[in-house]
Amino acid sequence: MSIDGLMPLCIVLLPMLSALLITLGPSGTQRRVARLSVGISALTFILSAASLVSYATHPHPQWLSSGFSWGSLYLDPLSSVMAVAVAGISFVVHVYAVRYMAEEPGYGRFYTLLDLMTGTILLMVAAGDLITLLVAWHLIGVLLYFLLGHDLERPAAQRYAFWTFFTYRIGDLPLILAAVLLYKSYDTFSLPLLFERIAATPDAYLVFGMPLTIAVGLLVALAAFARSAQFPLHTWLPYTMEGPTPVSALMHAGIVNAGGFIINRFAPVFMHAGGVLHLVFAVGLVTAVMGSILMLTQNDIKKSLGYSTMGQMGFMFVECGVGAFSLAIYHLIAHGLFKGTLFLGAGSVISDARKQDGVPHDDVYTFVVERKPVASRLPWMLAAVVTVVVPFLVLGLSRWLVGGDFVGQQGAVILLFFGWATGAQLLFATYRLRAENPWRTMAMIILSLVIVVAGYTLIEHTFDLFMYPDRAIRERIYAAASIPLATFDPLVAILTVMIVVGWLATYYAAASGKPRSAALSPARLVLYSLISREFYAADVYALAAQKVLALSKRMNVWLRWL
Amino acid sequence: MKLLVAALFLPLFPFSILLNGVLSRLRSPLARFLLLLLWPQIGIFVLHAQPVPEGFVAWSLLSSGFYALRLLAVRDLGLWAGFLASSSLSLIWLGDVANDFNMHIFAFWFSLPAAMLSLLAGALARRFGAAYAGLYGGLASNAPRLSGLLVFTLLAAIATPPSPGFFAMLGLLHGAGTAPAVLVIWLLWGWAAIRLIQGFLSGNHDAPPVMDIGKGGTLFFACFLGIIVVAGIYLTGGAL
Repeated sequence: MSIDGLMPLCIVLLPMLSALLITLGPSGTQRRVARLSVGISALTFILSAASLVSYATHPHPQWLSSGFSWGSLYLDPLSSVMAVAVAGISFVVHVYAVRYMAEEPGYGRFYTLLDLMTGTILLMVAAGDLITLLVAWHLIGVLLYFLLGHDLERPAAQRYAFWTFFTYRIGDLPLILAAVLLYKSYDTFSLPLLFERIAATPDAYLVFGMPLTIAVGLLVALAAFARSAQFPLHTWLPYTMEGPTPVSALMHAGIVNAGGFIINRFAPVFMHAGGVLHLVFAVGLVTAVMGSILMLTQNDIKKSLGYSTMGQMGFMFVECGVGAFSLAIYHLIAHGLFKGTLFLGAGSVISDARKQDGVPHDDVYTFVVERKPVASRLPWMLAAVVTVVVPFLVLGLSRWLVGGDFVGQQGAVILLFFGWATGAQLLFATYRLRAENPWRTMAMIILSLVIVVAGYTLIEHTFDLFMYPDRAIRERIYAAASIPLATFDPLVAILTVMIVVGWLATYYAAASGKPRSAALSPARLVLYSLISREFYAADVYALAAQKVLALSKRMNVWLRWL
Repeated sequence: MKLLVAALFLPLFPFSILLNGVLSRLRSPLARFLLLLLWPQIGIFVLHAQPVPEGFVAWSLLSSGFYALRLLAVRDLGLWAGFLASSSLSLIWLGDVANDFNMHIFAFWFSLPAAMLSLLAGALARRFGAAYAGLYGGLASNAPRLSGLLVFTLLAAIATPPSPGFFAMLGLLHGAGTAPAVLVIWLLWGWAAIRLIQGFLSGNHDAPPVMDIGKGGTLFFACFLGIIVVAGIYLTGGAL
């Protein structure tokens, strides 16, 4: 085996070796455990980065056989990039946990589980065959259960660890079924060989009257929905805060992204399953909206971050649904880094907020007591025009610079649409900010927007070329995700008009400063109660679980426990 | 007639009541261990490559699902092992009955973790008077080695990879009609196992301190589990 081939094996095995050494080694101090685990974690990260660099210089996918029917590894752009992201986030979490977990019981157990989890995720992203993928996919749920339930004396931690375990098991089963169907039809476990055979005869097999690729695509999508907290399988995610903070960070930054990974891994299947991509888009959109609404109504910062992750996962699925597969990976890595940072810093923010709430004083106080000039806003009509036009121009131009023909790609248009709405949101927030010099503030924000969008577009374009170097494959994925133009164009036009009118109305309302009515309408109250109870999803599941347990007890009593 | 006799040893409800009845009357953990290992092997001998009618396939699924559902409410580890064996061994009827060797191996992989659980139930009963989840919580802090073995054996019993049961389960998922039912049964096992693990391991420890199992015993048990895993990967790989 060459050095290039040996590296992925070391990347997967090193964290597992660390777990083994911690468990079997002499029971020493916490410092010994931390040094060993953090050191090996750093080494894993360095090797992952080296492997990525090596692949980028010689970009040829490599399938590394174990000599058995399974246990192989696959070195390709997806596994190389994901390995660096996973190893990097895991390393940061390892370092953070050294002091954070110091006063918790089970220090060695925690690091053992953390190392096992890291190794298993790395095995999942590098799996070269269906069985290895299933083994890793399944084990992640089990290990996550023990990590989230690390504090054995807190009933809440145990309860929500179980929720996570159960939802993950629900996500395991469709993937197992998909693997079995693929093996029975194409007679191989090897992923590269399987994808070759699918490309050669995509419509050769039927399952329950539907093409195999559609059935498998649907099953993989279901597995991804459960793993990435898509509505209505999302209830476990916001409650995982009951676990240790480093675990929350690892989960929100890494583990929960597995849905986006698995869809990318099975891209050759989704190329022939356009209908499933539309479903992925719809579920992602609903999840993004639900997650964002629920995030806004939380008063607990960590739970709010949890729902924010749910919303971001929704966006990631929207990206997959429009065929922007590589963008979903870029998104999950970027989100992982940001969200990991937020989780690890949440404790400090809460501590600071207890000392200083950070709420600005009103205008009169600022002018009379602080003797500062009163802040003002831009004229509302001008700000509204800037909000609607500037993001559109910036996004369109930057995309045109790297892509050129994006107008013909529905996925690109939808993503630009989202980008436009997000840019407009930023400018609206700037307008509401009130500043001493609102013109300068707006100019600086627009400049920042241009830099961020141009940089983002350039990186995303380069990333896309690295992940899917074959232009034909990129176009086939986009084509599979497309819908008829006769439906698409009017839909985009209607949404655009709705958003423009909505922004104008919002600006007008903000500028006119009309006070809100004190009494809420019954419909609003119902909506608020629905949101505050998180749409009763968790309550419905809890009730269903109680019914099943009651039935189980009743049957055992009838049969006298025999 | 042969099929009905086989249904007694590859236990299908209501014949499975006999196995669970005998298990509940046996006091010795070793006797339970041996019974759980040998009972299904007799069934395979009786069945001896005989074709299984469709009705028996449906019966085996219903029986397995029935015991998986009942497993959720069981808190006694010995009883739990028996019910799990009843549920998992029923699934053997879905296997490749034409291949006697594979069937014996499959039956062994399904019954071995349940048999090992009955040994652990004996160890718990000696310490606490009963191997009952929720009776005394906090076993993890009081007897960490025993807890570790209990967790690993339970995970193996519910066919968690890389235990042999996982590969055996994959080998049973060949029928498009039966596979979803098998997967639901698998899901129920996981639910039941976590309820049991939480009942034993979590919570504050209220019981008087007990002696954990020795390092030698732990090493022996762990090595045994490791050998089973390696053997399962090697032997059951061919069944996939």
